[in-house]
Amino acid sequence: MDTQSVKRYYRKRRKVIIVAVSGLLYAGGWTLGYLTALDTASAAILVLAAIVGGYDIAKTAYHEVKSRTLGIKTLVTLAAVGAIGIGSYWEAAAVVFLFALGSYLEGRTMRKTRNALEELLEMTPDTATVRRGGEQREVPAREVEAGEVVIVKPGEKIPVDGDVVDGESAVNQAPVTGESAPVHKADGDEVYAGTINQEGSLEIETTGAGSDTTLQRIIQRVEEAQEAQSPTESLIDRFAKYYTPGVIALSIGAYAVTQNAILSLTLLVIGCPGALVIGPPVSIVSAIGNAARSGVLMKGGEHLERAGKIDLVAFDKTGTLTKGETTVADVAGFDAEVSEVLELAAVAEKKSEHHLGDAILEAAQTRQGTVTDGGTTISRPDDDSATTDARSLPDPEDFDVVAGKGVVAHHDGREIVVGNRALLDERGIELPDEVAEYVRKREERGETAVHVVRDGVVVGAIALRDELREAAPGVAAQLRDAGIETVMLTGDNERTARAVAGEVGIDDYRAELLPEDKQAVIEEYREAGHVVAMVGDGINDAPSLATADVGIAMGAAGTDTAIETADMALMADDLERIPYAVTLSKATRWNIYENVGLAVLTVTILLAGVLTSYVTLALGMLVHEASVLAVIGNGMRLLRY
Amino acid sequence: MSETTQLRVMDFDCPSCASTVERALSNQEGVEDVEVHYSTGRVEIDYDDSVADPATFERTIENQGYTPQPA
Repeated sequence: MDTQSVKRYYRKRRKVIIVAVSGLLYAGGWTLGYLTALDTASAAILVLAAIVGGYDIAKTAYHEVKSRTLGIKTLVTLAAVGAIGIGSYWEAAAVVFLFALGSYLEGRTMRKTRNALEELLEMTPDTATVRRGGEQREVPAREVEAGEVVIVKPGEKIPVDGDVVDGESAVNQAPVTGESAPVHKADGDEVYAGTINQEGSLEIETTGAGSDTTLQRIIQRVEEAQEAQSPTESLIDRFAKYYTPGVIALSIGAYAVTQNAILSLTLLVIGCPGALVIGPPVSIVSAIGNAARSGVLMKGGEHLERAGKIDLVAFDKTGTLTKGETTVADVAGFDAEVSEVLELAAVAEKKSEHHLGDAILEAAQTRQGTVTDGGTTISRPDDDSATTDARSLPDPEDFDVVAGKGVVAHHDGREIVVGNRALLDERGIELPDEVAEYVRKREERGETAVHVVRDGVVVGAIALRDELREAAPGVAAQLRDAGIETVMLTGDNERTARAVAGEVGIDDYRAELLPEDKQAVIEEYREAGHVVAMVGDGINDAPSLATADVGIAMGAAGTDTAIETADMALMADDLERIPYAVTLSKATRWNIYENVGLAVLTVTILLAGVLTSYVTLALGMLVHEASVLAVIGNGMRLLRY
Repeated sequence: MSETTQLRVMDFDCPSCASTVERALSNQEGVEDVEVHYSTGRVEIDYDDSVADPATFERTIENQGYTPQPA
């Protein structure tokens, strides 16, 4: 080994080497003094141990003093110098060694916590293969420009954000969304930098590269979240402002009364609020880091602490508990053929842009006239390719949307009304018993039914269904097990809502809500003393998400507004992350309490011990450092939650 | 011209150490704003590049007993 590499090795491991040498000297000096009468030699070795271990500490202390701050390193240096001054060489060496060892271990473990995001950062490849001027070239990923086409072979990581323009593949999006199952990607689908192309070759038109990618934005958001102070942290910081001068005053006072220098130095050392100030940030950084790796973005300590108090979770129904893909489940004709009912409804809804209207339109275009038992129903074929032979529907001459009720349209000299009971009542249209009976039955199955009216006569009804997410019942059960109430908010009618709530196993439901009503309901629950989380899509539900104590947006990857406004954002459309996020928040809140409790307890016991002379300088330092490590270790448990 | 640079210090061992580094950096000539985060180890410095030399930032951090790395 040449001098260069020795130097490099030393620089890299300086802290361990210093701790080890100081420890060995300390042990040697102590043994020598214990076994032999060579007191001077022993003292010299112990002083050397203190100097080796304490050089860096003293240097930092010097800078602390120079910048007019009073840090623990100044106090430790004072204590060590003081101990040497009064001939307690053993204590001086012990204090320095224990402090150096503790600091080394604390720095090392904190590095692990800080590295939790490193694996995310390393996900993005450094180079990308782009097509430039008709040939493929390898360029640094951050230099790819928007609009350029990047080629990604199977097994490679995707280097940029973009849209697939050619090829088909399964992509593992775990780094961005936390989902372990690969997602199918084809023409027009959005892909994210850092995700892994598993099967086929993809050509991607770049929309963002370098620092302008979803993954980079996530990492930046997570760091900001980790850096933001939680209420407990700010409280402790304010407290520490008075606490540290208080300890100094106490130590001076103790010296004035007892004339015991070591006692007052010991007070200084153990009085440092180490574990107290370290505890909350470690818990929060660990929890936020863990959540990020599971595809849950948390906005910061403040939100996390509040989320730890959640006792009621409100779910938006459509798109949250359900898949948000409404399809026609059944069509009934009463005074008309089924096909005519569907066509009338489709013409009326053609321009409505309502999700129920879209489903009706799709059914009308893809229907193949599958007739079921009663001879009055058709089912929508599952095969989407049927769209290709869809007949084009005529446009209505005019149409009017009646918000929350339905549409009224005119076509071919006829008035068509498609809507709910309220719309029929409003227009004085009589509802035949058999139609009412049909609608009631469908609603009891959790479907939404609309009436189809031709020239004032109800001629049929269409039942629409939005499938539940498979995970929904499990999620409700898990929340109940965690002692959290669940509520479903929906614009659906009472019967449909009751049926869906029953199927999910949700505690309560609120039906027939207009969007602004949802906000009012959340407010109501809050006023009743609940800490409310609202789960929604982050765009339509933005107001209720903002009103809730904790707004949780689902499927936020790719929608920056949802990430910006929600307190928590689930990158994937994965309902199962809700119980995880809520229980992690609760665990974090407890973890912070444990850490603060442990810190206060340690200082109290040490203080009592010092004042009654049971605790010496070295023992005080040992316990102090041990308590700091215990607090860090406890906080880091959240990394593996 | 005002510039911003980022560094990373992975071995902060206590929150007050981070504050000490923050103060030392902000005392340097030409430094306009400094943020040092204990929890993530991120150091962000806004400085006037006609006065301050970014190379001295790393030395200042080293003087305080910590190891700066490029962000």
